[in-house]
Amino acid sequence: MAAGEFRLRVCYAKSGRARFLSHLEVMRALERSSRRAALPYAVTKGFNPHMKAAFGPALPVGTAGEREYFDIWLTQPVPVADALERLRRSTPAELGIDQVRYVHEREPSLTAAATMARYEVAVGGEGVTAEGIAEALVTVIGEGRLEVERKGKTKVFDLARSLPEEVRTRSTGPLVIVEVTTRMGQEGSLRPDALLEEALSRTSVDGAVVSVTRTDILIEEEGVVRRPL
Amino acid sequence: MSSDLSRRVEALLPRVERPVRYINSEWGARHASDAGHRTVLLYPDTYEVGQANQALAILYDRLNSIEGLAAERAYVPWVDMAAEMRSTGVPLFSLESCTAVVDFDILGITLPYELTYTNILEALDLAGIPLDATGRTEEHPIVLGGGPCAYNPEPVARFFDVILIGEGEDAVVQIATAHRDAKRSGLSRSEFLDNLAGMPGVYVPALYRPAPGGGVEPSGSAPPVVTKRVLTDIGVHRPPLCPVVPYMDVVHDRFTVEVLRGCTRGCRFCQAGMVYRPVRERSADDIVRDVMEGLRCTGYDEVSLTSLSTTDHSQLEEVLRRLTGRLEGSGITVSLPSLRVDAFSVSMARLVSGGRKSGLTFAPEAGTQRLRDVINKNVTEEDLIETVSRAFSAGWRRVKLYFMIGLPTETDEDILGIGGLVHRVQQAAREAVPASDRGSVRIGVSVSTFVPKAHTPFQWEGQIPTGEIVRRQGVLRSAMPRKGIDLSWHDADVSFLEGVVARGGREVAAAIESAWRAGARFDAWTEQFELAVWREAFAEAGLDPAAIASRSYQRDERLPWAHISSGVSERFLWLERERALTGTTTVDCSFDGCTGCDACGTLDVDVLLGGESRGGR
Repeated sequence: MAAGEFRLRVCYAKSGRARFLSHLEVMRALERSSRRAALPYAVTKGFNPHMKAAFGPALPVGTAGEREYFDIWLTQPVPVADALERLRRSTPAELGIDQVRYVHEREPSLTAAATMARYEVAVGGEGVTAEGIAEALVTVIGEGRLEVERKGKTKVFDLARSLPEEVRTRSTGPLVIVEVTTRMGQEGSLRPDALLEEALSRTSVDGAVVSVTRTDILIEEEGVVRRPL
Repeated sequence: MSSDLSRRVEALLPRVERPVRYINSEWGARHASDAGHRTVLLYPDTYEVGQANQALAILYDRLNSIEGLAAERAYVPWVDMAAEMRSTGVPLFSLESCTAVVDFDILGITLPYELTYTNILEALDLAGIPLDATGRTEEHPIVLGGGPCAYNPEPVARFFDVILIGEGEDAVVQIATAHRDAKRSGLSRSEFLDNLAGMPGVYVPALYRPAPGGGVEPSGSAPPVVTKRVLTDIGVHRPPLCPVVPYMDVVHDRFTVEVLRGCTRGCRFCQAGMVYRPVRERSADDIVRDVMEGLRCTGYDEVSLTSLSTTDHSQLEEVLRRLTGRLEGSGITVSLPSLRVDAFSVSMARLVSGGRKSGLTFAPEAGTQRLRDVINKNVTEEDLIETVSRAFSAGWRRVKLYFMIGLPTETDEDILGIGGLVHRVQQAAREAVPASDRGSVRIGVSVSTFVPKAHTPFQWEGQIPTGEIVRRQGVLRSAMPRKGIDLSWHDADVSFLEGVVARGGREVAAAIESAWRAGARFDAWTEQFELAVWREAFAEAGLDPAAIASRSYQRDERLPWAHISSGVSERFLWLERERALTGTTTVDCSFDGCTGCDACGTLDVDVLLGGESRGGR
């Protein structure tokens, strides 16, 4: 960060039909929001000058997010309440802006700092029960490893490492909600729907993942787990 | 009802590729579903191809600005989504309120190019609207067409209730208002259409029948010739300042201000240059004001100053200096769609590129001076070489050149001339850059096949046969320098089909319908196009497509589009054809005095430069 710049961290949601957006589409939409908000954004130097902004870990197309983040660098400090109000007015409701705060220049980047994420996976289908899913998950997790095939490549996850917290299940109406916390990082990030699909394949019921929502992105620091904001 | 449809649409989204094509609520989308009269505007291709279309953006803006009228948008679902919709009984829907298209008062469809015609039928069918205008009842929307291809409407005429010829800003509002009033006073569909046929620029195909000598004629009191609508001054309507800002990465994803309309350079192959006359510029003050306001409203990081020939704007330099000054340090860039072949254009490109020198585009169109004179492309080889040298000295490393083959009077010498010209451009470019940089010099060459278009001086000429297109493409390849050239050319079969549909009459509609029934859609997409399906469709309709495309007309024969007038007289077009055949060039009337095309007199308009009437037509 250059001297005289102010790093504003923004917490937003990816909800409703916006969950069908790709990460690139979300980034572009929020950069446009920031310009519409007339924030005094900093511009990168170099061949292709553009808004100085950095986004948190990507969400796949179809996955919603409750607390997603990006950082934007400003050339003048704008009061937090003012920045929040301006961003809210200039952003589509499905990418609702929840919170903004200045963070220190020494704070590591969102992608480097975020090592865990919490998800809620909704599972539905004839005969699907919370107990049945919980039982299948115990079996899968008990095996210790999970092979996931994606784009023709097989990736093996060490579940003891990938699942730092206990998986919880509960029923709401016809759906079963499964809360999964996964670790993310350079070794790859376990997609919670992959875990649930494996569990469903171990049951005799015809269940399917209905929706996936990332509810939190977390930073682990000296044994303490915290939110980026 | 619409919220139920919305849920049914949403259930399909996880199953299709690129669901972002079908989601609503983009920034700038207008929601006025309680308006008394509702139009849905459809682009006959996918969302990413049609979203940035300026014509529809203008009409959307106009209709939504009038109390009691409203407009929403619709696009043609890709084949996977269309299959899902059919299997689940989901009809074609609008984006904004997710209302079935059939429930709107007017369905407006733009006609951007011939290869979208099967998509129009796909859209009508998915909407549950009878394909033939005559099969529609009071329950169906009025299907209104317009756009560039309306200048030869016959191949799609029977699918439309109304086709608007010319500029739509005022006309579409008048049509929607007239329709609202007709509904209020209880007029039937046919009474409304009969009345509307008297409105300037309105063509109601059902009121015309095939004429004995070819073409069509009114069967009742409808006007024998429909003359295009035109705005005296485009400055009376500001461009859409808060257009829809898509989530998806669409074609032409930037803010746009149309800085001038029309072009009077007089290139004889160019339909746009003939049918959009006269030249009308927006003033520099208006352009700067509108660019700044539109960028604030949209949040785009790029603005394009569009027109047929933006470097012809009489105040361009002033506009660019003011804009680059205002936008300095914002990371926002200004772009120009294409450049004239001259030094001024390169200096303008230096102003706008914001330090970026991505690539320049020029269109010499033909390989020899003789043929450039035939088509009235007033560019010399010296201009081109000098312009390229200047650009490469200034730091550019890539240039793209557009050419055509199959122009009237073309010989192999002209095609070999393209190769020679490209070679000399390459030499000039290499000489203009430091020796260490020569490896990065790239010359792109794009060669399309000429389709003689309605309302141009070449409208009487037939298209060259497919076999000949392929042979000339072979000559072209052999003439190109071997290294450092990225050569691309248009598929001969696609050009052939364009020729048939662009030059055909009412009879072609049957083949379009047969092709659609046999599965043809998205014909402009290489992976979707199959000529065999079309050949079968023409056979079924009892037509010889090659005879339609390659047919030449005599001066006294009636053309299939003779009932449509762009204001430019047939007399002038024929005179231009005669001049072409003798290699005589014609000046640009915006700068060098009237050339007698008759557009200004017929349409009661005048050339407007910098917002001021040039006068003395």
